[in-house]
Amino acid sequence: MADHLLEVDDLKMHFHTRDGVVKAVDGVSYTLDRGETLGVVGESGSGKSVTALTLMGLIPMPPGRVEGGDVRFKGRSLITMKDEELRAIRGNEISMIFQDPMTSLNPVYRIGRQIAEPVRVHKGASKAEARARAIELLHLVGIPHPEKRVDDYPHQFSGGMRQRAMIAMALACDPDILIADEPTTALDVTIQAQILELMQEVQARTGAAIIMITHDLGVIADIADRVLVMYAGKPVEYGTLDEVFGAPQHPYTWGLMDSVPRAGMTEKSELCPINGQPPSLIDVPSGCSFHPRCPYARERCLTEVPALRNIQGEHKSACHFSGEPWFARGCSLDVQSEVV
Amino acid sequence: MGRYILRRFAQFIPVFFGVTLLLFFITTVLPGDPVALKAGEKQLPPAVYAALRHSYGLDKPWYIQYVNYLGALSPVHYTPKAGLQFTGPDLGESISTGRPVTQMFSETYPYTAELAFTAIGLEIIFGIGIGIIAAVKQYTIWDTLATLGSSILVALPVFWLGLMLQYLFGILMKEWTGGSFYLPISGSGGPGSPFDPWVYLVLPGITLASVSTAYAARIMRSQLLEVAGQDYVRTARAKGLRERSVLWGHEMKNALIPVVTFIGLDLGAMLSGAILTETVFNWPGVGLMIYQAIGRRDYPVVVGGVTLVLVVVLVVNLLVDISYAFLDPRIRLGANAEG
Repeated sequence: MADHLLEVDDLKMHFHTRDGVVKAVDGVSYTLDRGETLGVVGESGSGKSVTALTLMGLIPMPPGRVEGGDVRFKGRSLITMKDEELRAIRGNEISMIFQDPMTSLNPVYRIGRQIAEPVRVHKGASKAEARARAIELLHLVGIPHPEKRVDDYPHQFSGGMRQRAMIAMALACDPDILIADEPTTALDVTIQAQILELMQEVQARTGAAIIMITHDLGVIADIADRVLVMYAGKPVEYGTLDEVFGAPQHPYTWGLMDSVPRAGMTEKSELCPINGQPPSLIDVPSGCSFHPRCPYARERCLTEVPALRNIQGEHKSACHFSGEPWFARGCSLDVQSEVV
Repeated sequence: MGRYILRRFAQFIPVFFGVTLLLFFITTVLPGDPVALKAGEKQLPPAVYAALRHSYGLDKPWYIQYVNYLGALSPVHYTPKAGLQFTGPDLGESISTGRPVTQMFSETYPYTAELAFTAIGLEIIFGIGIGIIAAVKQYTIWDTLATLGSSILVALPVFWLGLMLQYLFGILMKEWTGGSFYLPISGSGGPGSPFDPWVYLVLPGITLASVSTAYAARIMRSQLLEVAGQDYVRTARAKGLRERSVLWGHEMKNALIPVVTFIGLDLGAMLSGAILTETVFNWPGVGLMIYQAIGRRDYPVVVGGVTLVLVVVLVVNLLVDISYAFLDPRIRLGANAEG
C-alpha cells in the first residue's frame, strides 16, 4: 500500500465561516499510481475541486482547516509539510490546470514568460534556457509556430490555445501528477476533444498520473482508469472505469448517468434528471446525505450514515442497499412509484 | 501605436476650440470692466475710456474678439505685402500690467510645475505605498489606520488643510521651539530668504497632494485586493512561486493600471495650476496669476493663461494614455487581438 504515488486517506477539509462550518470535503480516500488517470466526478459543490486544491496547498487557511486525514505524496505528508517544502513540490512535481483558460493567464505578461516561470523557479533555469523550454513546450502541446507565439500575450490566443498554453505550463517541470480541474468545461465541444486527446498523448509520453475533475461523464469515460463519484463532500462510489460505468451501484451515480442526453432519445420523459439541489454543506442532511433526492430512500437512510463498503473487487459504494438483489437501476422516476 | 497617437492629437482640436469659446463667452457675462478697474478710483474721461477699450479690442462683440484672438494665436500669418510669416503665438498683453501674457506665463509656470511634481511625487510614494501596506496587511491595525486616515484626508477641504498646516508648522512650531524650527508658509523664497528654495515647497506640496494621495491609496488597496482574487493569481501560486513573487510579479502590474491612470489625470489637473493651494500659500504659480487676473478682469491674462494651461494638460493626458498602453498589452495591441 505504501508504494502508491499519491495516497489520500480519509481527508477532511472544513471551512469555518460566519454561517457555520462548511464540510467541503468530509472523508475522501483514494490512491493514484504512475501513468494512471483518476476521474473525479460530481455536481458543483460536491468537494471535488477542494480535494485537489487541498493537496496543492492552495486553500487559504483560515477559513479552511484540515480536520482529519492525510495526503501522502511519495510517502511524505503534504498536510504536515512546511509551506516552503510544499511550494517546492507545487508546479514542479504536482501541477494543476484550471477550468477557465480565459482568466487563468496573466493578461499583462507574455505567454512564454508565464509558461517558463515554473522552470525558472524550480530548476533555476536562465532566461534563455527558460525561453527555449517554453518554445519546446508550446510545440509539445501543438501550438503552431511556437518560436513566434512564445512572445504573444494571452489576449492574442484563442480559448483552446490558451488551455494548451496552460497545459504546457503545467508540464514545464515534468510533473509526476497533473491535476486538471474541469479543463474542458469552458471550451467548445470540438476543442474539448482535442484537449483530452492532448492530455492522453502527454500522459503516454511522460508517464504522469492525471487527476481529472469534471462533472462530465463523457470526459470520464474517455480518459479515466478509475472513477471516484463524490456527493456533498463524501465519496459515494469508487472503482475502475469498467466497474463504475458497467455496473454502477449507487443511486446518485445512476441519477448522473440518466441525466445525460443520448443520441436517439425521442421523448422528453427518457431524460431523468436528479430532482432537487445539492445540499448546503453547512447543514448536511442526516443519515445518507443524498436521501432527500434519492428515489430509493427508506427509513434507514434518514438516520444511518452509509459507509463506503466493498461490493466486488475494488468496487465500493456508499449505499445501504448496494449489492442487494432487488436493488437495481431503473429510470429513477418509475422506480420511485414501485419501491416506495 | 502611431495611429493611436495621431487619433488622440485629432481629439485635441474640438477640445481646444470648445474650451477657448467657452472662455470668451464667460468674459462677456462676467460683471466688471477691466478698463474701469485699471483706472482705479478715478473716473476716466469718456473719450479716453472709449479709446482704451478700442485699443484692447473690447468695443467689438465677443465673437469678433474670439476670431481676432485666434488670428493672433496662429503661428502663421499671411499678408500680401510680406507673404507668409512665421511668428510665435501672440496671446496679447495684460491690461493691468501691460506685459505680454506669454512672458508672464513663462515666469509663473515653472513654479506651478515644481509644485505639481512635488505633489505627484508625494502621491506616488505615499499613495501607492500606503495602499500596498493596507492591502497586504488587510484587516490589521495598519489597514484600519490607512482607511481611516484616507477618509479623513478626503473629507478635509484643501484650503482649510493649508491654513491649518500654516498655523501648526509656521506659527505654533515657531513659538514652541523659540524660533529654531519652523517652516515657511508663504511665497517661494528668493535672495536673502532664510530657507533653501525647496523648503518652501514642503507645506504647499503636502497640501496639494493630500486629497489625491488619499484617493490613490484607496484605489491601490482595492485594486490589489481585487487582483488577489483573480484566477491568474491562483495560477501563479499553483506554479510554486513565492508569495513575494506572486505579489510583485503577478499582482502589482495589473493592480497599477488604474492607479497610474488616476495619478496621470491628477498630474494633468495639478499642472493646470492649483488655484486654492497657490492662493493660500501665496505661491507665485500660474494658478495665482489667473486668480489675480480674474479679480482684475484682466481678460487677456485669463484667456491666454488658460489656453496655455490647456495645451499642457492635453499633452500630459496624451503621455499618460501612452504610458498605460505600455503597462497593458491589451491596449497596445488591441487592434489585432483574437479573443
